[in-house]
Amino acid sequence: MSQPAAVRSAPDVLVVDGVVRRFGDLTAVDGVSFHIAPGETYGLLGPNGAGKTTTISIIAGLLAADAGEVTVAGERMGPQAVAPKRHIGLVPQDLAIYPELSARENLAFFGRLQGMRGSALSDRVAEVLELLGLSDRAKGPTKEFSGGMKRRLNIGIGLLHHPRLLILDEPTVGVDPQSRNAILESVEALSVEGMAVLYTTHYMEEAERLCDRIGIIDSGTLQAEGTRDDLLRLTAEADTVRLSGSAIGPEVSAALRALPHVERVDAGPHELTLLVHDAPARVAEVVTTASAAGMALTGVEISRPDLESVFLHLTGRALRD
Amino acid sequence: MSHLLTMTLSDLRQRIRDKSVLLFAFVVPLALMGVFNLIFGTSQDLDLQPVTVAVSTPADDPLASVVPDVLDGLDETDGGVAVTVLELPSDEVSEAVDDGRAALGIEVPAGFGAAVSEGEDVAVTVSEGESSVETAIALSVVDGALARLHAQSVTVGAAAAAGVPPDELEAVAAEVASGGPAFTVVPGEAATQQLSPAAALVAGQTGLFLLFTVSFGVLGLIEERQNGTLARLRSMPMASWLIVAAKALVSFVLGIVATTVLLTVGGAMFDVDFGSPVPVGVIVVSVVLAATSVMFLVVRVARTAEQASVAASIVALVLGIGGGAFTPISASGALGTLLDLNPIAAFMRGLGITSGGGGLTDITVPVMIMLGFAVVMVVLSRVIPDRGVVS
Repeated sequence: MSQPAAVRSAPDVLVVDGVVRRFGDLTAVDGVSFHIAPGETYGLLGPNGAGKTTTISIIAGLLAADAGEVTVAGERMGPQAVAPKRHIGLVPQDLAIYPELSARENLAFFGRLQGMRGSALSDRVAEVLELLGLSDRAKGPTKEFSGGMKRRLNIGIGLLHHPRLLILDEPTVGVDPQSRNAILESVEALSVEGMAVLYTTHYMEEAERLCDRIGIIDSGTLQAEGTRDDLLRLTAEADTVRLSGSAIGPEVSAALRALPHVERVDAGPHELTLLVHDAPARVAEVVTTASAAGMALTGVEISRPDLESVFLHLTGRALRD
Repeated sequence: MSHLLTMTLSDLRQRIRDKSVLLFAFVVPLALMGVFNLIFGTSQDLDLQPVTVAVSTPADDPLASVVPDVLDGLDETDGGVAVTVLELPSDEVSEAVDDGRAALGIEVPAGFGAAVSEGEDVAVTVSEGESSVETAIALSVVDGALARLHAQSVTVGAAAAAGVPPDELEAVAAEVASGGPAFTVVPGEAATQQLSPAAALVAGQTGLFLLFTVSFGVLGLIEERQNGTLARLRSMPMASWLIVAAKALVSFVLGIVATTVLLTVGGAMFDVDFGSPVPVGVIVVSVVLAATSVMFLVVRVARTAEQASVAASIVALVLGIGGGAFTPISASGALGTLLDLNPIAAFMRGLGITSGGGGLTDITVPVMIMLGFAVVMVVLSRVIPDRGVVS
């Protein structure tokens, strides 16, 4: 995850500066700014509806920004821009492949649209098929592929033309654990090759594993960004405590918020998530209070500060699927 | 251009593999043509059978001989009935009909010629066996000849009353009997604009299914949006209008191929000649442009592929049926004008002109209607708010 100093000193591949996008009365992205250096993997972490996909759509030139500016490899991006799109590889959340075409045909089709031709194209297609582990299924129609194989091909199309910036929009959604691990390993390998990667996810563990820096986004706003350690410091070492059970009424949340060591409380349908300072020493008091307020407890879990804690700390809400 | 070609070829390859387009473009319309021809073909292509008519005429009566003469002349006319005239004595005519030797018996009475010459009424006896189209034709022809003789008798009577000398009355009678009609109908040089029933069947089904065929191209935009490939295409380093242009080109190519194949194969199946290839080609290109343009409107208003498919089917059926794909439809006033502006109706009218021998200049009006329709549809599709697919 850490990068060579030479790479870090190179000009940023992506610069997002004060981007705003509105849909009617809804401001989906509100003044988001960040940048990514060559070889750096940047994670955009946030729940569904946080504004990740809209941000990515603006960066990829699919949507116009109402305000602000995106530059890729020094060229300004927009829906009508052509030159900066040569530098990006987009891996949409949907499986953006043609089911009637084979894996080889899908790769060759998008490679041609990227301007690749001849042996350079066919060699690279073969190389990517090998990388994806799809060489033996290269000729069959992709409609016969498993979900994991389609996901891998979806990523392969994005990195076929050696883009300077690879944009992955939640690439592991709906993927089995084995394929998921293969995808994560592929992404880790990309940063080694010097490719800048923008990775959106709502899986905290993926962001922690892959990303050099992480931006936490919620309600269209970038709440905080930095390395994992930078972000964890924001929580002032508060632990996350999860109380699972039923009868989680507002009075339970109110009683817990009144405790002196409890920083945040977020109530889900079957779970309460709390930020608690010195949780091991305070958990008994927390459980007693919740129970006294009417909650039927079935489980308690304490975890050390992580990105989930950071998100809870910043937004007051748990980072759920 | 290479982007446009790459997307078009890839899309066509997928359409061919998908096979739906092959079914809608070729198999279903050709099958329907065959079915409709089986249902309607027999009444439309009536094959007239030879018929025998027993006739008795008085001897030495030149006017009475008109009856066997006109019957003999029937099979000489183009598409006429082959009639065998059986000349018999008067007392054997009805017997010949009864025993089946003749389908029709006609007895011209003695003194027929004299009665006609003097302007008197005279009765010709007809006996008919089993009624048929052939005997009805023979009877109507004899009736027409007798009507002319009646006109002759009336003329002769009038001439006698007017004081024409008796020795000149015979000449007047002969002139009326042999004179032609007061007017002549001559086929004009302009094409008829009317297709034969078989040609209308081929052209109508071709026009109807063209609208389904072109939908496979343009409406693919919605499919691409749903699958996520549209987003990926838009992230490619090319102008975004090329994506729409590629879909339009796919529609156009599919439409041209399907229409050409259907007109050629359908024409061969039903022995139809649509005329000179150049004007027919212009008509085909025009109707394909019109059909493709209407799909841009559909793609604007539909949110999902299912909605687009339903909307395209409705448009195809309304324009196809309104254009006369199943049976000719006519109306007067504003509705008539609206029907005339239907590109499928213009397509069929254009083919009617070319099948009648019309050339490029003769098809100007239907071609302008189809191209005008295309322009209006494209303009409308730009005016209607976009739902994120076309632009």
